[in-house]
Amino acid sequence: MAIIEVNNLTKKFGDFYSVQNVALQIEKGEVFGFLGPNGAGKSTTIRHLMGFLQPTEGQCFIKGLDCRRSTAEIQKFVGYLPGEIAFIDKMTGQQFIKFIAQMRELNDLTRANELMQFFELNATGLIKKMSKGMKQKLGLICTFMHNPEIVILDEPTSGLDPLIQTKFIDFILAEKEKGTTIFMSSHIIEEIEKTCDRVAILNAGKIVATETIADLKKQKSKKFLIEFQSEQELSRFLGEQLKIKQIGPTQAIIKVQGNVQTLLHTLADYKINDLDIISQSLEDIFMHYYESGGKES
Amino acid sequence: MNFTLLKHEVLATVKLFSIILAVLMLYIISIVYMYNPEMSNTLNKLTETMPELMSAFGMSNIGNTLIEFLSTYLYGFLLLILPLVFIIMSANKLIMGYIDNGSMAYLIATPNTRFKIVFTQAFFLVASIFILLSITTLVAILFSKILFPNELDLSAFLTLNIGLFFLHFAISGYCFFISCSSKDLRTSYAYSTGIPILFYLIQALSNMGGALGKLQYFTIYSLFSPEKLMTQDSSSIWMLGALFLIGMFCYMLAIRVFVKRDLYL
Repeated sequence: MAIIEVNNLTKKFGDFYSVQNVALQIEKGEVFGFLGPNGAGKSTTIRHLMGFLQPTEGQCFIKGLDCRRSTAEIQKFVGYLPGEIAFIDKMTGQQFIKFIAQMRELNDLTRANELMQFFELNATGLIKKMSKGMKQKLGLICTFMHNPEIVILDEPTSGLDPLIQTKFIDFILAEKEKGTTIFMSSHIIEEIEKTCDRVAILNAGKIVATETIADLKKQKSKKFLIEFQSEQELSRFLGEQLKIKQIGPTQAIIKVQGNVQTLLHTLADYKINDLDIISQSLEDIFMHYYESGGKES
Repeated sequence: MNFTLLKHEVLATVKLFSIILAVLMLYIISIVYMYNPEMSNTLNKLTETMPELMSAFGMSNIGNTLIEFLSTYLYGFLLLILPLVFIIMSANKLIMGYIDNGSMAYLIATPNTRFKIVFTQAFFLVASIFILLSITTLVAILFSKILFPNELDLSAFLTLNIGLFFLHFAISGYCFFISCSSKDLRTSYAYSTGIPILFYLIQALSNMGGALGKLQYFTIYSLFSPEKLMTQDSSSIWMLGALFLIGMFCYMLAIRVFVKRDLYL
């Protein structure tokens, strides 16, 4: 049986559907990504899992317990990182960690201290004076300090600097080794790609696709921005058998699906100034699913 | 009840509590000190020169006994308004403060039911009002005993203060309900401050008498009548009962609303 189950979840505000018929099945030990642009309904779905919201239709279950009815019971084995970073400002980081631990009746702070060391957080200062990144680290410590079986993270890397983001990815992979089930939302594809087994793509309140990461990668095409030394070089290049889009007198974007070998071989004959890889945006992925969805129907 | 949360609230409120208590004690002590049968004559003259203004603040009838003197100067304005300030600030902070800044997410993401959280906060509010008024009552009694032994009618004074507690219990229930049910902190502050102040102003107008006297049916402060409480009039019993019921109803409704409501955290 799935450890996290969302059945036909619909939440309506007036005439507006925040989420519509969302269905998810997450297995034990899985790292599941929840991808979508801002306002797609990721946080709304997560709030239902936490029992914060009453669904208009449908139900959510964690380990077979109804998320709305058995909220407190569920929190015993769940860790949650809210999307909005907010603490009790007048406390120091350490006081807050201790406070939440006591609210959980958790006496052993070894894990919390380990995590503080891992994320290099000095929590002795007032929370009010902490930077966004420090607050996010503090949130992560509160999420993981009771060694939860299931973790729900809403945009975990927002506010973290790239170095810590990499560290966070390692951390998630280590948790995965331990068998923790992780459900995380994000709007950054790379982060999901590096950590997750499966991903659900959400747009405008509806699930567009649920894929394994391997499948997602196959769908993904790469784009290269190439700047040639002269206009002549570019016009000569336009004759090649590639998907080329000219965007300036000496610049062109080349789209490659799959193997980049051909492109590199071809490019060897040309004089170029610069080569950039354009990371694929969410919109591109959505466009792909919309296009394929359109063909099928 | 969650004792960790209760302890946290005690520490977080102790500053505001002490300030309100200190101001109240200062006034109580100076007003007890001011009591002097000859002095009341001067004050009576003041009342005669501007009767409307003085009666608006419930100071129409300056009695000759210590308890009447205290009830006129303390229970018409100071002991209504200062505890109200404490109630409004605490009630808003206890629930809506956490919802509005988002930290409620951490509280209810612990294995505590929403009922447990909201019950703890409600208990804290009622208990802190009770303690605040108990201390002021004790201080007033002690100071009266020291300065004017045997002047204070103790049982009448205690009844008066029980009435005051029930009044604040009812008002705090209303403020707590607003804190639990509003959509954000600003709305919550607006309603929890606006309505009690409006009630107080209506009360002030109705005190002026005449045609305005009818206004007394539109304010909760009419259910707190120092004269009736001090004389232990039979109608003061149902007034206390009404205040208690209003308070209980508001608190129960507040808890229910908080347990059921949608939280965007």
